[in-house]
Amino acid sequence: MNQLEMRHACGRRELLAGASAGFGMLVLQALAGAALPQHRTTRARAKNIIFCFMDGGPSHVDTFDPKPMLKKHEGRPIGESAVSKRAQSGAGRVWLGSPWEFRQHGESGLWVSGLLPHTARVADHLCLVRSMVGELPLHGQQNLLLHTGRILGQAPSFGAWVSYGLGTENTSLPGYVVLNNDWVPNGGLENFGSSFLPASHQATMVRARGVPVDNIAPRDAAAVQRRKLALLAAQDADFAARASDANAIEAAIANYETAFRMQSAVPQIADISTEPEHVRRMYGVGSADEHQRFYATQALRARRLVEAGVRFVEITCPSFDGNNSPWDQHGLLKINHEKNARITDQSVAALILDLEQRGLLDETIVLWAGEMGRTPHTPKVTETCGRDHHVNGYSLFMAGGGFRGGMAYGETDEFGNSVARDPVSIHDVHATLLHQMGVDHEKLTYRHGGRDQRLTDVHGRVLSELLA
Amino acid sequence: MRFQNTRIIIPITAAALAAAHGMCSAVEMQKVNTHDVFAKIGPLLERRCFECHSHAHKIKGGLALDSRSGWEKGGESGPALVPGRPEASLLIQAVSHVEKDLKMPPRQRLPQAEIELLKDWVRQGAPDPRGAGAGAELKTTDAWEAEFQKRLDWWSLKPMRHPAPPRVQDAAWAREPVDCFIKAGLETADLSPAPPADEATLRRRLALVLTGLPPALAAGGAEARSSSSAEQRLESWVDALLCSPHFGEHFARHWMDVVRYTDTYGYEWDNPAKGSHEYRDYLIRAFNDDTGYDQLVREQLAGDLLTQPRIHAAARTNESLIGPMFYHMGEHRHGSSLMFNGIHQEMVNNKIDAFSKAFLATTVACARCHDHKLEAVAQRDYYALAALFTQPRWTTRGVDAPGRNDAAVSRLKELRSAIRTEMEALWRSRPPLEAAQLQAWAAAHKNALKGVGAPLAAAVSAAEFSKQKAQWQKLHAAALKARADYTPARLDEWVFEGDGLVHGRTEEGTPLVALEGAGVLARLLPAGWHTHALSSRLPGSLRMPPEHRVPGTHVSLRVAGGEFGGHLVVDDHAFQNETVAFYTNARPEWRTFADAVLKNGAQQVAVEFCTAPLNPNFPPRTGLVKGMKNNDPGYDKRSWISITEILTHDSADAPPDAQEVFSGLHEENAAAPEEAWARVAAWMNAAVRRWCDHQCRHGESELLDWMLQQGLLCNEAAPGSRLAGLVAEYRRVEGGIPFPRSVVSMDERHAPAVKYPLNVRGNVDATGELIAPGSLRMLGSRKVSDRLALAESLLQPEHPLTARVYVNRVWQWVFGTGLVATPDDFGRLGERPTHPELLDWLAREFIREGWSTKKLVRRLVLSQTFRQSGTSTEAARERDPANRLLSYMPTRRLEAEGIRDALLAVAGRLEPQLYGRPVSPYRTAEDDKKRLFSGPLDGGGRRSVYLQMSIMDPPKILTGFNLPDLKLPTGRRDVTNVPAQALILLNDPLVHEMAQRWGRQMAQRGAAEGADRRVRVMFERAFAREPAAEETWRWCTALETLGGDTPEGWSALAHALFNAKEFIYYR
Repeated sequence: MNQLEMRHACGRRELLAGASAGFGMLVLQALAGAALPQHRTTRARAKNIIFCFMDGGPSHVDTFDPKPMLKKHEGRPIGESAVSKRAQSGAGRVWLGSPWEFRQHGESGLWVSGLLPHTARVADHLCLVRSMVGELPLHGQQNLLLHTGRILGQAPSFGAWVSYGLGTENTSLPGYVVLNNDWVPNGGLENFGSSFLPASHQATMVRARGVPVDNIAPRDAAAVQRRKLALLAAQDADFAARASDANAIEAAIANYETAFRMQSAVPQIADISTEPEHVRRMYGVGSADEHQRFYATQALRARRLVEAGVRFVEITCPSFDGNNSPWDQHGLLKINHEKNARITDQSVAALILDLEQRGLLDETIVLWAGEMGRTPHTPKVTETCGRDHHVNGYSLFMAGGGFRGGMAYGETDEFGNSVARDPVSIHDVHATLLHQMGVDHEKLTYRHGGRDQRLTDVHGRVLSELLA
Repeated sequence: MRFQNTRIIIPITAAALAAAHGMCSAVEMQKVNTHDVFAKIGPLLERRCFECHSHAHKIKGGLALDSRSGWEKGGESGPALVPGRPEASLLIQAVSHVEKDLKMPPRQRLPQAEIELLKDWVRQGAPDPRGAGAGAELKTTDAWEAEFQKRLDWWSLKPMRHPAPPRVQDAAWAREPVDCFIKAGLETADLSPAPPADEATLRRRLALVLTGLPPALAAGGAEARSSSSAEQRLESWVDALLCSPHFGEHFARHWMDVVRYTDTYGYEWDNPAKGSHEYRDYLIRAFNDDTGYDQLVREQLAGDLLTQPRIHAAARTNESLIGPMFYHMGEHRHGSSLMFNGIHQEMVNNKIDAFSKAFLATTVACARCHDHKLEAVAQRDYYALAALFTQPRWTTRGVDAPGRNDAAVSRLKELRSAIRTEMEALWRSRPPLEAAQLQAWAAAHKNALKGVGAPLAAAVSAAEFSKQKAQWQKLHAAALKARADYTPARLDEWVFEGDGLVHGRTEEGTPLVALEGAGVLARLLPAGWHTHALSSRLPGSLRMPPEHRVPGTHVSLRVAGGEFGGHLVVDDHAFQNETVAFYTNARPEWRTFADAVLKNGAQQVAVEFCTAPLNPNFPPRTGLVKGMKNNDPGYDKRSWISITEILTHDSADAPPDAQEVFSGLHEENAAAPEEAWARVAAWMNAAVRRWCDHQCRHGESELLDWMLQQGLLCNEAAPGSRLAGLVAEYRRVEGGIPFPRSVVSMDERHAPAVKYPLNVRGNVDATGELIAPGSLRMLGSRKVSDRLALAESLLQPEHPLTARVYVNRVWQWVFGTGLVATPDDFGRLGERPTHPELLDWLAREFIREGWSTKKLVRRLVLSQTFRQSGTSTEAARERDPANRLLSYMPTRRLEAEGIRDALLAVAGRLEPQLYGRPVSPYRTAEDDKKRLFSGPLDGGGRRSVYLQMSIMDPPKILTGFNLPDLKLPTGRRDVTNVPAQALILLNDPLVHEMAQRWGRQMAQRGAAEGADRRVRVMFERAFAREPAAEETWRWCTALETLGGDTPEGWSALAHALFNAKEFIYYR
């Protein structure tokens, strides 16, 4: 197929997707029988992903990677040998012990710090990786790496790939939803974009407060809108007949039907008032803290979206102060890490439990990850000190979706300063998540710029050690 | 195991056999051992590596492992093995999979046993019996050379031909030579062109293609003459549109896609891209003035190097200097290249990508990691461009037309001189200070007796005074002695930019006229440079040569500044960094800069001392400037810096203060009295006298300024006096100086030659050879001395790409799809031209007609090809489904800007105003940390081209309709078709506001005018045609059900019209 033919085919595919299913991909899948499912493996363990994006970089040595040596050596210079270009680093910096106690939890005895008491309660569901290695200790690059598999971005977001590869099961809802808080993360909205994939796969942004989605609330009464649509149907049919490319016009006309349905479907999903009180309480929807309220609302919506068939849901953290990003505690580590934990911890744990109680956890992967960890050292130990950027060994976890619970994979050295065993890249995580969704990451490709582009670029290994 | 190759195994087996037969000498024994050790290695290499590293298959990365000499010589990264040292051997590192960018074999790590085997082999000295000849010897450079020559054989690199318009059967159809080429293509495919479009369709098409606006507003006041024939009407319509200022706006926007135009730098803080709008306006003026494309190439690549810059008389700008902002579009990182590896490499990559795609439709950025996989572009080419582009400073240039301030400056100098003369007379007329008078003053002003005033404190006791005096004298002597280690900097390589600096050279005691208040003088300045010496509206920037070029390990400057004057340390061109300092000291203080250790492939660290308008990082990210609100975009700032001394040295200490201000106290002058108060008085009186005689001594201005601030010198002009008049006049003239305009551009003055390190496999941690500046070898020669030479090389009339690439873009802007459908890629991954002869003919005509865009566009839109209707035939749809032969004009959707502009235009809200600072788009949420503020819903009625293009959060209504990614050059936009677009048109508040506005207008026309008449008006405005009878009936009927003849009813109708497909599509 030369590029011309291919563009045409893609155009047609897009048109049909637009024409009959809106964001939906059912038709696309049917149409593309030959073109698309080649990346599907026979066995999909999971159907959905909920990505709890811990924007800013929660500290690994204060959450999931206990390092008693830090307390022991607190205040001592780290020395030249501990300097790393994968962290904000310098020989004169000093080790900093964790302000939080670590304890073992659950039957598995997984170590979790007192910073995350709720998450600790679901320890037996967590599949921890403690040996993540990033590329540059900078937010923008790491965010884009985490989302698009490339530090420069300019490629589709993970969620867009999943939407493209698997489609949505609900024709009135998009395949990739970001539950956001009007907060543009470092690296920009590109983190949630579709780049060279068809635009229908870019994230639909759902806000915590106010109207959940731009332009979703009809400004006209339903009857008026119907009358307008009827008028347009006749007018547009005439125009389509006179246009040289009737297909495009007809697809645009069909989009109005989908849009009309979305106007009711989206707010309905976003409306959590119908949830029973005990569920709302479990998530923390009634919290006095507005940021926790936002996060809890979004976490609960995430479950509803997954139930409704949305493939990939991402929840971002609310930004509550002048920080560059929520978990970015260069200073005031204790106060503000606790604030972030208070906002997110309860809802994340509730989400995992709620999914389990509904029998959805088996088919839903909950991914908890920041774009980086934080240095186990600091320029000077003070009341207000913090930790800086660190990508040389940090932690994230998966829960559900066929991942082994209650395990930890990989190790950092005794200071949590670099990876000691089993380094894992973001590409490996992407490959493994796709694998669980029944997708071969080497086969899910899209021709662009003369290459068959992949989420994992030329990298990625399925971490079979993590799978049940 | 796909490839069995026994070539290597044979000698080993033979040797082993020989050994088994016990027939070997000691020398042979040695050989046998070699063979023994290698026995397992040979097959292992073959099995695991040969598929990519042997002459039988491929020689990836230049490395062949099928001979001893192969690994000895190694590939692009150097020798693969260091015999005896596995830990230092690249091959061992590669198979161990420790480095992300160096994993071999890439897919699957070898079993540990095999890795150990290889390590053992290397540890034993890597015996390899195969010698040099086992594989066919072919140097990789020769291999590339052969490949390179082969790749030059490609249509777009071949000379342009001189095609004559072909003869066609239906010669009458063709109006333009262009038509002959198109018609010939159609005849070959046995297709007929579509009949011409009707006049209304053509008028709308022309308006949208040429100006991006509906016909009613497109001509911008230049009315088409009512002419008798349709042909005349058409031509005058085309000419009116080409003369419309909106033509420039629309075509500039096309080019802005190509050069990844942005108003902010994205990444983490979305800092403003300084002067972006000046560049946008420069483009608009250039397209409206029909500035030759050759000149635009020259200016955008090297406008700063032109000896005769192009001055725009009306805009009063140096247009040429604005051009190089082309380089500084796209995303910019704030990290320091010295702290984080990868920063400058990413920025350079973005520039190379944009340059090669925009001007050459070549994907040079693909050669960052290796020689291009498909094109005649070597990795060296990439790094030659990197060196060329990093040779100049990336910094702000003042773009006001030269001499703009000359009249004001010379007037201010005259006035200042006259004011000084008046002050001299005034101070001479006053009696000198007396000891007793000073003593009394000191008693009343105890708080002032610090710093320069310290002698007055000491004078209370004769003993104390003597002690202090001796101390100052000692300090002075010591300082003078220590000063021997400090050398005044030679300034011949320092760049002085801006009227403030150029006219800011002062002698000791130059008066700074007060711009407000009762006082005549604000300050008495020390000798040096003071950008505000005449006016703090004048900009100034002192650019130090790269640190390593300045003698000594340190350089110290005595600087002062205020109102966001300060300095910026630029680690290898990363000017969006965090090492920006804003001065708040009026008294000059030492600032010492130590040479940084260059690492991470960085070539230089540059320091710039600048006022806010010339600071490329002003305003910097929020939180870095005290006293500046986040919502202050940093425009129109008074700002100043002073530099009084520049010393280079090797010690880390700042130069000692010589306390020269006190020199006059301890001079053993016969005339100086011994009594303390008398001596202080004499010290002051002498200084004043010398000032009046224009004989100030070095350091004395400090004393005089202190006296002035303390009120010990008269600083008032008598009302109505000549002095008062002079001051008033000074203030008036100063107030009339416009604030400077500036953009991020290039400054190559005194730039040292730079070589850029090649990154092996693109790995920023693996720096290889230093590459000298140059161009692409496929364009003839890599040798170009600077960017201007690069530009001129592109403008050679026989250049195979420059004109072809541009006329193809223009063709696409007019017809929707280029003759080459991939406008940014004329290489092997791009498409081939559908009409190669036409492309060459147009390119040659374009050059012949002086690279005139307007002449080219006029030729295209008046062609019969362009005038076709959208009627397609069955045969065309079958034989040419993508309509590449142009047997009809395709129906097209308006671009994002066109849709928003049409909403404003039709509703009567469009402001015809041209140019100006970016307008914040409407946002539902703001983030003041990132300066993402919301503007008015309708953007103040401004055209979309003026909305702020924020990389981090671009205008939503535009992204909904495929505004391209602002980080990347985009020659051709996507046109997607998704429900979110329907939601925008159905529910977006702007669409509703415009509908209501338009609906109210319709309702106001009153019942006297029938509904049918008003529906007709609406159709004409929205679709530029009259409604058919059936349509009039349809819409009038709908009006009844939507609210009738009320503002609500008409608004509903207007809203429905906005949602009609005909509103966003044109035929």
